[in-house]
Amino acid sequence: MSHMTNPLATPEQLFQRRSFGALPLELQDAIFFAAQCLTQAAGILLQLPQSITAQANVLLARYWLVEPLMAHEFSDVSAAAMYLTAKLSASPRSPRDVCNVYAYLVSPASTFFHPLHQPLAAAAAENNPPKYCLSESQYQSFHARLLAIEARVFYALSFNTHVALPHPLAVTYLQALDFLNMPKETIAKRALAYLNAAVLSPQMLYCTSQPNALAVAAIYNAARDVGAKMPECEWWEVFDVDREELGFLVVGMRSIEGWGRKIRGEEEPIKGWKGKGMLTRRMVQEELRRRGIEEVGEEGDDVEADMARRLDERMAELEGGS
Amino acid sequence: MSILESQEGGNAPSPRSFAIAHQRPKSSFVGCSRITDYEVLGKLGEGTFGEVHRARSKKTGALVALKKIIMHNEKDGFPITALREIKLLKLLSHKNILRLEDMAVEHPARSTDKRKRPIMYMVTPYMDHDLSGLLDNPSVHFTVPQIKCYMLQLLEGLKYLHANHILHRDMKAANLLINNKGILQIADFGLARHYDGEVPKPGKGGGEGRRDYTSLVVTRWYRPPELLLHLKRYTTAIDMWGVGCVFGEMLVGKPILAGESDGHQLEIIFELCGSPTDENMPGWRSLPGAEAIHPRPRPETISQRFGSHGPVAVSLLRELLKLDWRSRINAIDALQHPYFRTAPYPAQPGELPSFEESHELDRRKFHDRRAALPPAPKGGTVGRGPHDGSNAGFGGGGGDGFGSRNGVNGGRYPRNSRDPPPADGRVPAWHRDRGLPPRPPPPIDYPLDHPDGYRDRGGRPPRGGGGGRQDVDTYIPSYDRDAPRRRRDDRDDRRHDWDRPRRPDFDERARASRTRSRSRSPIVRDRERDRDRDRDRDRDMYRR
Repeated sequence: MSHMTNPLATPEQLFQRRSFGALPLELQDAIFFAAQCLTQAAGILLQLPQSITAQANVLLARYWLVEPLMAHEFSDVSAAAMYLTAKLSASPRSPRDVCNVYAYLVSPASTFFHPLHQPLAAAAAENNPPKYCLSESQYQSFHARLLAIEARVFYALSFNTHVALPHPLAVTYLQALDFLNMPKETIAKRALAYLNAAVLSPQMLYCTSQPNALAVAAIYNAARDVGAKMPECEWWEVFDVDREELGFLVVGMRSIEGWGRKIRGEEEPIKGWKGKGMLTRRMVQEELRRRGIEEVGEEGDDVEADMARRLDERMAELEGGS
Repeated sequence: MSILESQEGGNAPSPRSFAIAHQRPKSSFVGCSRITDYEVLGKLGEGTFGEVHRARSKKTGALVALKKIIMHNEKDGFPITALREIKLLKLLSHKNILRLEDMAVEHPARSTDKRKRPIMYMVTPYMDHDLSGLLDNPSVHFTVPQIKCYMLQLLEGLKYLHANHILHRDMKAANLLINNKGILQIADFGLARHYDGEVPKPGKGGGEGRRDYTSLVVTRWYRPPELLLHLKRYTTAIDMWGVGCVFGEMLVGKPILAGESDGHQLEIIFELCGSPTDENMPGWRSLPGAEAIHPRPRPETISQRFGSHGPVAVSLLRELLKLDWRSRINAIDALQHPYFRTAPYPAQPGELPSFEESHELDRRKFHDRRAALPPAPKGGTVGRGPHDGSNAGFGGGGGDGFGSRNGVNGGRYPRNSRDPPPADGRVPAWHRDRGLPPRPPPPIDYPLDHPDGYRDRGGRPPRGGGGGRQDVDTYIPSYDRDAPRRRRDDRDDRRHDWDRPRRPDFDERARASRTRSRSRSPIVRDRERDRDRDRDRDRDMYRR
């Protein structure tokens, strides 16, 4: 049984992703991040537990390792991943529910990716149902897209729909570590928060590391945050994680918050995204046009240099942080 | 991402590198195979779920079975039942569980094709027989060591399933596949689901159920009394009852509890196991289905019926066929039963009687080859497998009996479809000569709807003796053309084979339509298929 492990991305897939089409890296990352956030928001509105929503996040990440980002509308892919994960779970959701939720989330009426400083009263006044109520024909076309992409996802994943989440492992490991002598909720909550945030990381941590490594890294980060004293020895070895991978994951998880703020904040990768809600393909295409990139870019050489640069940044961050 | 790559390079012997070495093959993440990766050798059977083809992998050369997943253009997308089966099979890994090796996709041919969606196939290893078909073969007689060997493997597989919280819910001889190396594998997880209760523990029987499931599962002849009485909070014990039925079937060579309706099924169960009392089936009166029935008191007759197989066999059978699902033996304990520790001892899979087996194999292969015939050339007759010939033979004789027989318990592959068990003997005369063509081929332009099943021979290229293998092995169905495919699809009267019996609703309607499906009229067949589709949809609801 491979209940405990996940299929991981191959180095070729990761590299290929970085050279897919004309999309500059920061655009890819923004799309990935936006779609994963959208999936999380939809999971909440569909009243699905995080154990299902997070699986949808992982399946979405797996899918985008195999198929190009721009092939479908991002929100549609997110909806398909959400729909098929729920279908396989104990709490399936009807296409109609999924449609309603996504129609709302991508509409201007929702608060998703819209500035919160908008006065709530004004937002309520604008709460105009037709903006997110779809007509029957709109629903039909959404439904058709949903099923078409669902089939695409299954095909791309070769039906490897099983996702082993690290959350239960993290709790088990914490129990084994006696919660590092901290109050149980404090440290467990923090560790799970790291795991949930890692789902959004454009580094695709869930596709590059097995659940046990993610769980250990989350515990390590949580312990540092709450000031718990970790065992002196190389305790991660007990959980089959080596130091190098742990280091990589610790930095990866720590960088998400700052990175997310940056991308939503001052340093916009896409002009005019701010306050416009969910990122759409059209926005990305306009951005590409604005930058003068039309088709498949010839930046194959830059990719490696760029990766090296990003790596250096991360290492610097790690050193600075510790 | 180069961090990862560097890690790949410098592998110290750490737990992690061990884990890497043992994780899923990376290739499992590259999407599905193409149908062109397989050389399709011919159709094995056809069911509600889809057709089954025999094929050879071009990569490994291994023989595989391709099970087509029928997409009904459902409004809920990819069928959840197929998804569940795929997901379960991908998680399982045991020598006695049929392995899902791959998923293959067939893209529709470009513009001319109306079917827009690609077709998916599940790829499993090719197994030579199913137990139902094997038992049905008059030239095969199971020895006691052989039965013990199969039983051990069946129980090992089931122990693994139950330990991993999986209910099979369609245990029956036709779902047990056997290859020529003597390996038995449990197949067909279309009704299987995750089990929420506690896993069986030694000496604890099936334990108590924790939550409700649908009671519309398991083929009737293998359905335990608690399901017939509509217990919803059932346990892994429902699969153990099926094991008991299969065990008895191996001992006597035919299904031991072949009920004609749900009520009749209960009748014959009580006839064999005794009528229910508060001692042998505590709480049976409070089951929803028990209100309407008033079984007359009867003693248990297992030792009378199976006494000739020895007291130890009777003892195991009695444990498996206990009316009380809580104390019915579980797979762990059954494996420890004295039956497997008394002479004659169980055979090893490799040392099963090779003489009979190889003889059987030759026959099977011959049947396969004929089953794999290409569709007849245009204007000719549709190529049908020889099994249809024999089926039609007894279909004409038995009529209704045949329909009901297959409606409930069709073999996995059509060549194995079993006959209605005659009242007295197990080998009817007309069955014995189903080997080589007993009749000369009819003329090429034989009418399509001739009641005689041998009409297929008309379209077949002539061949001499046992030869003619080449014309089949090199045959690759043209997946790109619509016409021949539709023709093959039309032959719906063979749907009974692959997994029709998994349908939970074996009501009279199903039986009736099954019987009617023997009709030779293509129009009726089409209507038939529509109805199947409806029923399919109904069934999907039950599986939730």
